[in-house]
Amino acid sequence: MEFLSNFSPMFFLLIVAGTLIGVIFGAIPGMTATMAVAVSLPLTYALDLNSGLALLLGLYVGGISGGMVPAVLLNIPGTPSSITTTFDGYPMAKKGEGERALKVSIVASIFGGLFSAGVLFYFAPVLADFAIKFSYVEKFLIIFLALTVIASLTKNMLMGIFSGVLGVWLSLIGTYEITNGGNGETRLMFDFMEYYLVSGFSLLPVLIGIFGITTILQDAEKGFKGEAANPTIKLTKGSKFSFRIFKGQFVNLVRSSSIGTFVGMLPGVGGSAASVLAYTQEKNFSRDSSQMGKGAPQGLVASESSNNALTGGALVPLLSLGIPGDSTTAILIGAFTLQGVQVGPLFIGENIDTWYTIIIALIVANFVMFGIMFFAIKYIAKVVEVPKHILYPIIVMMCVVGAYAINYGIMFDVWTLLIFGLFGYVACKIGIELVPLIIGFILGGSAEVYFVKSIESYGNLLIFFTKSPIAVFLWVLIFISVAFSIFIRVKARRSESLASTS
Amino acid sequence: MEGQFLSLFDVSIAFEQSHLFFPKLITYILLGLLVIILISKRRRIPLALKQAGRAVLFAEHGFDRWRFFGTLVLIIAYFYFMAVVGDAFPNTGYGFLLTSIPFVFLLATLYVEDRSRKNLIIISVNSVVAPVLAWYVLSQLFRITLP
Repeated sequence: MEFLSNFSPMFFLLIVAGTLIGVIFGAIPGMTATMAVAVSLPLTYALDLNSGLALLLGLYVGGISGGMVPAVLLNIPGTPSSITTTFDGYPMAKKGEGERALKVSIVASIFGGLFSAGVLFYFAPVLADFAIKFSYVEKFLIIFLALTVIASLTKNMLMGIFSGVLGVWLSLIGTYEITNGGNGETRLMFDFMEYYLVSGFSLLPVLIGIFGITTILQDAEKGFKGEAANPTIKLTKGSKFSFRIFKGQFVNLVRSSSIGTFVGMLPGVGGSAASVLAYTQEKNFSRDSSQMGKGAPQGLVASESSNNALTGGALVPLLSLGIPGDSTTAILIGAFTLQGVQVGPLFIGENIDTWYTIIIALIVANFVMFGIMFFAIKYIAKVVEVPKHILYPIIVMMCVVGAYAINYGIMFDVWTLLIFGLFGYVACKIGIELVPLIIGFILGGSAEVYFVKSIESYGNLLIFFTKSPIAVFLWVLIFISVAFSIFIRVKARRSESLASTS
Repeated sequence: MEGQFLSLFDVSIAFEQSHLFFPKLITYILLGLLVIILISKRRRIPLALKQAGRAVLFAEHGFDRWRFFGTLVLIIAYFYFMAVVGDAFPNTGYGFLLTSIPFVFLLATLYVEDRSRKNLIIISVNSVVAPVLAWYVLSQLFRITLP
């Protein structure tokens, strides 16, 4: 019970601050939870571990939740995961039931968030206990599995694999660290670059550049025309919100939350997949789906409970295996490292107080999100009107702080922002997928160490298949994930050709 | 027989060269994938390049050259001068503060659709208040290193 002493008023205040900033970011179309975490990173540099966690988890929960506001009011998903919220939310808002739609979404969100926090609490330690027995061989295979799942679930499998491998390649630039059992030599660079790249590209400047600067360049290209999209929608004209809407929605809530949690656990699959899956399942299984897409609360329930369930789900592989589940947890892994926390199989056992703190912060953040959004939704709805010409310069400025301060004042980290901001912009144009790339970048270094160490100790490639039953099991999973994605693709192509012939 | 089969998969890595083993492998895989992608998309690449070229040169497909390249130029100037000014006043964060104010002002003016008097006043106030606030909170209260 020692961990209870961590909870000072400051702890709760930081959760509130984080959630509020997150909600505001999520509510601005084009800004995501990832960006909220990236921009607020400098604030955590000065905080201790527990306070930093409070702020970060608040940002995460708030950022995912805030996306519902523009989805309902403007028909623009504030974050990719709220795409299905627009299907029913916007029609409701047009009928003058904006506030009702938002409140339904808020209640669904807190259910999804708490559900997934519960799953995280019970499941992550089990997974970690299991993973503790892993040797280098299994550790390498688990990374290989993660990258396979990510790559095979992207829109274009070939480009997905290419992006993941490119991420790994970029992570190898720099020194083969002696602390990891390497020989301390640099590679993949020319001599003149050695001064800047001796320890490679820093993780957080790369992430902040790709998620912050790239977004700004993409919007600059479009030229901000007609951006003053003022919602002309009355919030409360039609029928009012009441908890009776949720009568008969329990199955939907649990199913959608489970889908969200599970999809969150799969690395790199992303929020939009979770909410689309939950939405289509509700459409297939509910007794009356005739109103869905025309303004049915059940659609909102499916969408919002599943996308908030992502939060707990994505933290499962992060905290038990050290593998980030989505782009936001990718930044979280950087923030954890900065606080001196090494996430992985040993994390929960060795930092039991921190583990409880994370769970408590996650639960509190969900309640705070509920409190802020349920009672102040009218004011938050105004946020969607803040013009981007005010926001974007401030975001660039905060990105600079985040990058510069990370290694205590290295100007090259700031230039890294621009390099990877431009890179991300070009990559999107030519069809490279950013999420597999990022996950490859994060895991590439460990993949190398595990792979080379395995070969150095056994001297035979077959060890990756014969080391243990777990290794065989992981290969089966890798095989299933590839086969499954090929199956999905063939099916999609067949239905496409059927549609074109009929 | 079995021993011979197993030895086919024998690999040994010399420690002095161990830093190159994995990168080499990844580089080959990457190049292999690149070749496959180029072959499978060979018909679409010239067309896409032509479209991209036209977008940049003639501002087609809604490509806003002025704002896009303006953003790039401003960011490069911002980063460059931040270091220059920062070196003149080391450990004060003035490099950040003094370059952020014009940067925020210019970028906002570049982005704003309607350069009305009211909008410009809001931008001016914002471009002073935001950097000063960020500088004060981060550098003075939180003691975070700034250029």
